Amino acid sequence: MFAFNTQLELRRITISSLITCIYLPSIVTVISYRGSLYYVGKGSSFYILVLIFIAELLKSFYLSAPNDIQGKKGKTSKTKASDVLKSFVFLLGVNFCFFIGIILFGAPVLDLHEETLMLSTLLTILTIFPLILHSGVECSMQLLFGVKSFARDTVVEMLVNNAMLTVCGAWLGAVVIPLDWNTPWQQWPIPCYLGAIGGYLLANVLTVFKATLMTAAYKYPAVNFLVMILNKLRVSK
Amino acid sequence: MMTGSVSTFADVALNFGAPAVRGDSVLRVAASRGRRTVMYGDDTWIRLFPGLWSEYDGTTSFFVTDYTEVDNNVTRHLDKVLAPDEKKQPKFDLLVLHYLGLDHIGHLEGARSTKIKPKLVEMDEIVKKIYVAMQKWDRNGILIVCGDHGMRDAGGHGGSTPAEVLVPLVVIKSQDFECPHPLGPGPTVAQVDVAPTISWLLNAPPPGDSTGRILPSLLPADTRQHLYLLHIIAERMAKQNDLPTDKEFYKQFERAENQFAHYLATGQQSAAKISKEFYEQSLAEMTEYLNGTTVDFDMFSIVVAIILLYFIVASLLCVTLYSLQPDHSRKHSTTKRGYQSSNAGRIVAFLFMLCLSGSGLIVACFITETKSQLCSFNGLWLPVLLVVAAAFTITYFIMKTGIERIKNLSSLNELNAIDFLLIGGTVFHAWSFFGTSFIEEEHMTWYFFWNTFMFFVLIRSIVVVVMYWSKKMTGATEVQEKPGLDEKMSAVGISIVPKWVLLIALHRYLRTMNQTGDRWLFLPDTADWLNEPENSLYLELHVIIGTIMTVLICVHNLVYTNNLMYIHTALTAAAATCTFCYRVATHAVHAPFEDMKTWDPIIIVSVFWGILMAQFIYEIITYVGFFKSCGVHPAEHAMNSKKFDYVKPKTKTEDYIYDPTIEEPWNVEEVKLNLARSLSHLMLNNMMLVILLLMRPHNVVMVPSVYITCVVSSKCVDHKLLDRRSARNTDVADVLSRTLVHMWIGILFFFYQGNSNSLASVDLGSGYVGLREYSPVRVATRMGLHAYAGPALAGAVLFCTLAAEARDWQQYLKSIWRATNILALHRVYAVVLYTVIATIFRHHLFVWSVFSPKLLYDFVATVFGVQALATIGYIIFLTHVTSWLARVLITRSGLR
Repeated sequence: MFAFNTQLELRRITISSLITCIYLPSIVTVISYRGSLYYVGKGSSFYILVLIFIAELLKSFYLSAPNDIQGKKGKTSKTKASDVLKSFVFLLGVNFCFFIGIILFGAPVLDLHEETLMLSTLLTILTIFPLILHSGVECSMQLLFGVKSFARDTVVEMLVNNAMLTVCGAWLGAVVIPLDWNTPWQQWPIPCYLGAIGGYLLANVLTVFKATLMTAAYKYPAVNFLVMILNKLRVSK
Repeated sequence: MMTGSVSTFADVALNFGAPAVRGDSVLRVAASRGRRTVMYGDDTWIRLFPGLWSEYDGTTSFFVTDYTEVDNNVTRHLDKVLAPDEKKQPKFDLLVLHYLGLDHIGHLEGARSTKIKPKLVEMDEIVKKIYVAMQKWDRNGILIVCGDHGMRDAGGHGGSTPAEVLVPLVVIKSQDFECPHPLGPGPTVAQVDVAPTISWLLNAPPPGDSTGRILPSLLPADTRQHLYLLHIIAERMAKQNDLPTDKEFYKQFERAENQFAHYLATGQQSAAKISKEFYEQSLAEMTEYLNGTTVDFDMFSIVVAIILLYFIVASLLCVTLYSLQPDHSRKHSTTKRGYQSSNAGRIVAFLFMLCLSGSGLIVACFITETKSQLCSFNGLWLPVLLVVAAAFTITYFIMKTGIERIKNLSSLNELNAIDFLLIGGTVFHAWSFFGTSFIEEEHMTWYFFWNTFMFFVLIRSIVVVVMYWSKKMTGATEVQEKPGLDEKMSAVGISIVPKWVLLIALHRYLRTMNQTGDRWLFLPDTADWLNEPENSLYLELHVIIGTIMTVLICVHNLVYTNNLMYIHTALTAAAATCTFCYRVATHAVHAPFEDMKTWDPIIIVSVFWGILMAQFIYEIITYVGFFKSCGVHPAEHAMNSKKFDYVKPKTKTEDYIYDPTIEEPWNVEEVKLNLARSLSHLMLNNMMLVILLLMRPHNVVMVPSVYITCVVSSKCVDHKLLDRRSARNTDVADVLSRTLVHMWIGILFFFYQGNSNSLASVDLGSGYVGLREYSPVRVATRMGLHAYAGPALAGAVLFCTLAAEARDWQQYLKSIWRATNILALHRVYAVVLYTVIATIFRHHLFVWSVFSPKLLYDFVATVFGVQALATIGYIIFLTHVTSWLARVLITRSGLR
C-alpha cells in the first residue's frame, strides 16, 4: 500500500491511526452505555459529530505539523482566513452532495431528513474533511476526480483509503435494513451510520497493521511476503 | 375444503389447470348416498366434481372485470330453489352458492374500493333471504357462510398473511340451536374440519382422505350420540395406514375407547366425561400428526432431477465459455478437429456412455431401495428412465468437448470492476435464497445491486469525463495524438454524467411507485396516491407522458426498418392512437370528446392487433421485393435512407443470371442483417405498444423507462469508454456485460411494476384487456406478458442493440449466440439452485407461502425464456426464408 518514503512519515501515520482506533471505539462504547446508540440519527446526538470533528482536526494538526516547521509558515498563515472560509463552503457543498446522493440511492424522500443529514455530515467529516485539512481545497478536489495521482504521498493515500472504506461500510450497512429481524437498530440510518464508523475504523486498523508489518520487515525480511499479500489485496480498487 | 385433506406445496403449481378431483370428497359420498346436491356459482366446482351434481348453473370465474353479472346469475335461482315443496321440505340436501363479485372487486380495485360496501350489503340481504326461507321448512336447516380465502389490502391473495389465510366461518341453524361459544370472535377451526361436518350433516360417512373433526358447535347435545360420533371419527383416523400405533395419542385413543365402553355398560357420567376428553385430545394430536406427515415426496426422482439439472448447468457453462472465446482461436480449434475419431467411434462411445449412465441409474435404484415411480420399470416410466440416461450422456459429451476446446479465454481479461460486480451479483443472488426473507424481499436484493451498479458507473463516468476534460484543458499531447479518443468521448459526451444522475433520480422515483415484497407491502406508495380520485390529474399526466414517450421511441426505432413512404410511421401512430383511445374508453384518461368514451374498448383492441400484424407483414413483403412488381420502387427510398443497399441486387440481377459461378454477387448477408435488425426493432416496438396497452395506468411510464435505462446503461458499460489502447478487442466483454445489465434491468422492472414472489401480486385484470369472454390461452399469455413485461422488454432491447451494432451478419450471429448462452446459463443456474433450496426446505413452515410460489415464478420465467430464445431463432429463420424468397422473385423477374 505505501511506498514508504520516510520512517518518520510512517510513524506519524501509525500513531494517528492508532489514535483513531482508540477514540472512535471509546465514543461508540460511551454512547452505547448511555443508551443513546439508537438515537444517533437524531439531532440531539450532534455532539458525537462535533467530537469526531475535533478529533480529526487535532489529528490533522499532528499529521501536518512538521510540514509547517519545514517552512512556508508565513505563507499559510496569510491565506488562512480565506482558506478556512473556502473549505467551509466546500464542506457544505460536499455535505449537500452526499445528502442528495443518499436520497437518490434510497433514503426516504419526504421525511427523516434530519437523520439523512446526520449521516451525510458524518460521511463528510470522515471522508473529505481530513483530505481538505491535509492538502487544501483545490488539491483535494483534484484528488477526488482522479486528476492528480497520489502515488507518491503516503498520507494522502491513507486518507483516500480511509474515505473509500468508510463509504463502503455505509453502503454495506444498508444490507441489514430490509431483513426481518425486527430489531430496534434496523431503523434508518443507524446501520449505515455505524457501518460508516466501522468502515473508517477498519481502514485505520488495517493501516496500523500494515505499518507494523512494514516496521517488522526491516528486522525480519520474511515478513515482506505478508506485506506483498496485503499490497495485492489493495491493488484491486 | 371438500376433500378434507391437506395438500402439498407442489399443488400450487398444479392447481391452475384445476382438473377433476379423483379422490374421495364430500360430494362423492353424498352422491353415493343419493343426496340431492345443487350448485350455483363458480364453475370451478363443476370442473372439480364433474357428474356429482344433481343440478347446477356455473358462471365462469375467470372473467374478473365483471362484478354484477356473476352474482345475479346465482341470485336469480334462489327464489325457485329455496321455495319448499308441498310437504314443506326443501328441494335439495346440499346447496352450494359461490358468489364471485366480491373476489373480483378485490382483485381489480383493492380492499378500499367504494364498490365493496354495497356488495357486502347485497350479500347480507341474501343471507337474510336464505334464513327466512329456512324458517319455513319443516326440517332443520344449517347455513354455513365462509370465504374460500382471505384478501390482502391490495386485493390479491395467495400468500400466508393472517389476512389472507384466516376467513370467518358463520354457522346458522334454523331451529333449536344454542351457540356453545361466547359472543365475539369464536375459536379458530381448521379448514379440514368442514368436510366431515358437512358429510355428517348429510348422514354420509366422512370422505376417505379427511383428517378433520366435526365442528364442536354442531355436535349433538345428547352425550351418547356425541361420544359415538367422536368414536367413529377417531377410529377412522386411527386406522389410517401410516399412523404409528406406539405413539401417545394412539394409547390415548385406546383409553378413550375403554372409557366409552365403560360408559355404555354402566351409564356413569364421569366415564363419559373422561372419554370425551380423551377422544378430543387424541383427535387433536392425530390431526396434527397427519397434517404434518401427509406431505410425501418422491425423493429419488427429485434428487435425480437435481443432479441432471446440475449437469445441464455444467454443460451450459462449458458452452458459454466456449462461445466467449475470441474468434480466431475458435477457428483454429475447429480446423484441428481432423484427427479425431470417426463417426462410428463416436456412436460407440455414445452408446457406451448411455449404457453406463443407464446402469448407474438402475444400480442407484436398487441401492437406495426407493419406492420411486422412476424405478418401477413398468410401461410409462421405462422410456422416462431412458430419456434421463440419454440426457446425462449428452450433457457429458457436451462437457467433454467443451473442456477440450476451451483454450483461449483471454478475452475475459478485459473485464473491469463493473463486470465483476455484475457477475458476482448474479451468482450471489441465487445463493441468497437460502434465507426465506430474501425470497420474500427479493426486490431488495436487486435494488441494492442496482444501486451499487449505478454508484460504480457514476464514479466511473465522472472520473472518465473529468480526466478527459483536464487532459483537454491542459492540452496534453495525448488527445491530439489519438483522434479516436476524442471521437469516442464526443460520441458519449460530457452529457453522460447529468444523464446518469437523472437516470438515478428516475429510478429513485420508480422505486416508490409500487411497494412490493411482504414486509412493507402495507406502506402507501405513489401508485396508491395516484389512484386516489383527487389526484387523477397526475395519473392522466403519467399516462400521457408514458404514451408519448413510447411513441417517440417507436418512431425513432423505425430508422432501422424499411420505412417506405412513411407507412410504418403511420401505422405506429395509428397503433398508439388505439392505445390512447383504449385509455379513454376505460376512463383512465379524460378526453374532451364525449363520444370517445362510449367506444367499445374491445373493438379498439382488435383494431390495434390488426395494425401490429399489418406492420410485420408489410415489412417482410417489402424485403421480398413485392412492391417492385406493383410499380413502386423501394430503390430510391432505400438509397436515401442509406440503410439498405437492397438496390444492388437490382443492378446486378443480370450478373446473377448470366454468371452463376459467383455465388452471391449481391450482398445477401447485408440484406439479411438489415432484415434481422428491422424485425427485431419491429418486435421491440410492437411489444412496447402491447405492454403499453396491458399496463395499469400508473405503470405506463415504466415502458419508456425500460428503454431509456437500457440504452443509457449499455452506453455506460461500454468497455471502450475512454480507452487508451483502442486496438483492444472488447466485443466479448461488451456482450457479456450488456447481457447481464439488460437482465438486471429486466428483473428490476419486474419488481418496480409491483410484482413479487407471491401469487397475490399477479395482476388478473391485465389478462382481460380487449377480451369479451374467457379463453385460457389468450388470458394466460396476456397475464404472463404483463407480469414479465420488464424482462421481455429488456431482452428485446438487448437483441435490438446487438443487431444494430453488429458490423456484419457473422458477427451478429456470434453475439446473439453469446448472449443467448449467457441468458440460458443464468436461467438454469437459478433454477437448479432454487430447486436444491426448495428440496432442502420442503418441510419448512413457509413452504406454502414462500417457496412454492417462487417455484412457480421460476417455472414461468423459464418458459418465457425458452419462448424468447425461440423468437430469436424464429427471426433468424425468417431472414433466411425471406432472402430465399427474394432471390426466387428476383430470378423470376430477371428471367421474364
